[in-house]
Amino acid sequence: MTPDTTRSRWSLSPFETARAMSTNDPQPKTAEDWAAEMAAVSSRGDRDSFMRIYDHFFPRVRLYLRGQGSPEAVAEELAQEALLRLWQRAGMFDASRGSLATWLFRIARNLHIDRVRQERYWVSLPEGAEPAEEAADEPFSRSESYADHVDLVRRIERLPATQARLIRMSYFEAKSHSEIAAELGMPLGTVKSGLRRAFLKLQVEVCGGAA
Amino acid sequence: MTPRHHPDEATLVSYAAGALSDGMRAVAATHLEVCSHCRSQLAGAERIGGVLLSQRQPTDAGDRFPQLRAEMLARLDATPQVKPVLGGKDDAIARTGDTDLLPRSLRPYFGSSWRALRWRWTAPGVHMIRSSRPTGDNLIMLKIAPGKSMPVHSHGGAELTQILKGAYDDALGHFGPGDMADLDGETEHQPITSPGVPCICVAALDAPLRFPGWFARKLQPLVRL
Repeated sequence: MTPDTTRSRWSLSPFETARAMSTNDPQPKTAEDWAAEMAAVSSRGDRDSFMRIYDHFFPRVRLYLRGQGSPEAVAEELAQEALLRLWQRAGMFDASRGSLATWLFRIARNLHIDRVRQERYWVSLPEGAEPAEEAADEPFSRSESYADHVDLVRRIERLPATQARLIRMSYFEAKSHSEIAAELGMPLGTVKSGLRRAFLKLQVEVCGGAA
Repeated sequence: MTPRHHPDEATLVSYAAGALSDGMRAVAATHLEVCSHCRSQLAGAERIGGVLLSQRQPTDAGDRFPQLRAEMLARLDATPQVKPVLGGKDDAIARTGDTDLLPRSLRPYFGSSWRALRWRWTAPGVHMIRSSRPTGDNLIMLKIAPGKSMPVHSHGGAELTQILKGAYDDALGHFGPGDMADLDGETEHQPITSPGVPCICVAALDAPLRFPGWFARKLQPLVRL
């Protein structure tokens, strides 16, 4: 535990891609690698695969939940819950519909909304997948390749500072448009248009898959 | 139903990020239920969340990590893995075409039955219901009689409105079932409901705590009808 922990969590350079992977990650894994680990977890309850997923993602999920405003102990408990849910529902994970990181993000986000905000009755969209007949015509229902992931990382890094800040305040701090507007002293419309532009810049050429 | 008016991308980003107020999230979810276009957009916004999650670099796993890891291994023994089930009970109900069922996302706030809704008279031709849940206190359903012209008004903050039944026209276009009006505070509009059936919509304002007087301000133009 270094004295920097707290500061780096809130540092203004959150997209620290250039950093080395954390110490328990000797080799960077790709989305395909994680999908293979998930296949082992779902098909034969492979604990070694699960714990490799755990070692990599638990610290990240916990950090994400702290950013959402959870106290340390709650972030820890919810992060455990998120990973346990991943183990329970591994059979619902469909690598062709998105990466493991995205799936885990949705699980953690929904747990946070349900538990921390005491909104037990919020009806979330299913974490696993939409009904198959709906999924069939989704332009997004194609494999999310490692190249796509790298491309998105690069696009995030290239966002102008203000747009990066809006994205960060939305995803890392769960701030609403009016909260951001009040905090940055910006008109609401400027917050919305900034987020809209950021989103459009981050969209890969997603619809080409069907051709 | 193929919606022609959609939420702002900024609204979908905030939905994906878990950053919408409870009421706005319910309204946005109601639109997402019927709009595959926006579900695709949402998937894109959630991918951003996935990348941001994996990009975050904890400086170390923390002193408690070995203990948490051991606890997790022990919990795996007690936690069976569930087999995926295709098409839940809820979908089965939806497919029966029960026309009395409220959209799934609204049931926690307004109950599940259209017939059981308890509309309250608000102004001539206007009925309203406030969400029964405290966390949805900025969430209302409005029923406006057909062929009614509302006064020109704007809203104090962002407002999301999803049309459930009937239709209205304003300067932004024709809004029918499935359509969403995603307005920020600056937008002024004068909706005129279409003839035929009442226009029923569900609406939420952003950050209700910051607008303590919104309810009075909202009713004001209606009462002056």
